[in-house]
Amino acid sequence: MAYKNEAQVFPSSINTLTIGIGDKAIAFGGENVLPLYTFDAPIEHRPKIGVAISDMGYIKGVPGIEKFYAGAENVIEMAKLAANMPGADFLVLCLDSANPNNGDKSIEECVDLVKKVLEAVDIPVAVEGCKNIEKDSRLLEKVAEAAQEGSDKNILILSAHEENYKAVATAAALAYGQNVTAESAVDINLAKQLNVLINVLGISPEKMMMNLGSAAAGYGFEYIASTIERVKMAALAQDDAMLKMPIITPVSSETWAVKESLASQEDYPEWGSAEARGVNMEVSTAAACLAAGSNAVILAHPDSVKTISELIDNLM
Amino acid sequence: MSKFIVIGERIHCISPVIREAMANRDPEPILKRAKDQIAQGAVYLDVNIGPAGKDGEELMQWAVKLIQEECDNIPLCLDTVNTKAIEAGIKVHNNSRGKPIVNSADAGDRISNIDLAAANDAICIALCSAAGIPADNDERMGYCQTMLERGMEHGMDPEDIWFDPLFLVVKGMQDKQMEVLDFIKMLSDMGLSSSGGLSNISNMMPHHVRPVMDSAMLAMAMYCGLTSAIVNPGDLRLMETLRSCDIIRNNTLYADSYLDI
Repeated sequence: MAYKNEAQVFPSSINTLTIGIGDKAIAFGGENVLPLYTFDAPIEHRPKIGVAISDMGYIKGVPGIEKFYAGAENVIEMAKLAANMPGADFLVLCLDSANPNNGDKSIEECVDLVKKVLEAVDIPVAVEGCKNIEKDSRLLEKVAEAAQEGSDKNILILSAHEENYKAVATAAALAYGQNVTAESAVDINLAKQLNVLINVLGISPEKMMMNLGSAAAGYGFEYIASTIERVKMAALAQDDAMLKMPIITPVSSETWAVKESLASQEDYPEWGSAEARGVNMEVSTAAACLAAGSNAVILAHPDSVKTISELIDNLM
Repeated sequence: MSKFIVIGERIHCISPVIREAMANRDPEPILKRAKDQIAQGAVYLDVNIGPAGKDGEELMQWAVKLIQEECDNIPLCLDTVNTKAIEAGIKVHNNSRGKPIVNSADAGDRISNIDLAAANDAICIALCSAAGIPADNDERMGYCQTMLERGMEHGMDPEDIWFDPLFLVVKGMQDKQMEVLDFIKMLSDMGLSSSGGLSNISNMMPHHVRPVMDSAMLAMAMYCGLTSAIVNPGDLRLMETLRSCDIIRNNTLYADSYLDI
């Protein structure tokens, strides 16, 4: 008997969230099938790639990254280059220098930089805080305000946590009309609870994304993958309105911080090129995230961006 | 895998307020009950217009349009013995959030309501009885098979027939309760959906006892696989039990606020 393909299409679909403006805007989510299952039903919005740059500069000691940003004298010039990286869908500006441990740069200076970057690039932008809960709750409010000023840039703010969701989500989405990411650390129940709490503030699920946690492949990644999968199934199969937000997963911040990417070839000659290892870590982690259900991954190396972009092209 | 479906029972012509509102085509009392029940967690609303022999068709259409237009097209369960009124209601029902439910067919005189549901792509509640109360589960299962075949002959998806085991009043038929639960389990094992008027079990009990008894029955019935029920969503104890059972059955993902959503 001939094989008959039964399409597994769910009655419920992931929310669609748009960032950016005009014809440069991009949309995340919208699918009603399992991740990348285009053979079951078309996926209108392919998974997206964000290119991360830090206000403290690019990742040092990686020839491919250094070559790509060669000549850029400041973050704004870096942002322009990153925005034109082949395969990049959106820019992720990380305000690391605002962290009290990284120089504690003032909120005014950070916001000034955000404004300049928003003027300099025409692709959609996500702005990430400095990963200090207290500072981020003040910083991200001002970032959202700056994004709305003048011509609204419709950016994505990363992230609202359990500890600061009220300040961050209220400012980002309610006061200044931007989009907000709810971040939880590999905990499906907390992920849902945080979404509920943000929703109770009056913020529509349509203005939200989820970061369910991240890890490099081999570093507890299976917990990340199973969390993403479980949340995606609850959204699709159980039509859970509090879990239907598209999922964004930072990858480069994890993969460029592990030994496989950092150890030099001199110390580990048998491991081969450090850069090739780093790209491999980034690519394999990102591909696994997309297979688990991420609607967007955040990467750094131009080769990784190109590879994952081609992977998505070939699967769509 | 899907959440228990709460059909709100409070738009019922047995209530003097609703009966009067229906007679006078007064929207307010009906809309108030509709909105209250939705806020309390109803997914469907039952609309019982009584026998409504004279103006049933017009009344049902008025009620369906009124409730759906004011309540974001909540799907409705059309409840009357007047088949023409049900049919009229289906014609104006907006299916964007779910198909209408025909309430109800049985294996006796009202079996043709299955045909009505099939012809209009509606869901049908199918009472597993023909006339009176079935003697045992063999008899219930016979009726179930008859109605399942009838639906499938008319092209219905078995998922769209929600079998009603016929909940029985404890005061009078206490010895039959476990049998009803066993039957729900049989339906569940066959992959069939189920529904029914659960609060019938506590009829004639004191008011303060009814929520306790109904909640216990609901928990036991959900354990056996009951997939929906026609209940009063204003019964907080019942709704808290239901939401907790949905978590235990893994129908929905736990979050600390699960009682509030």
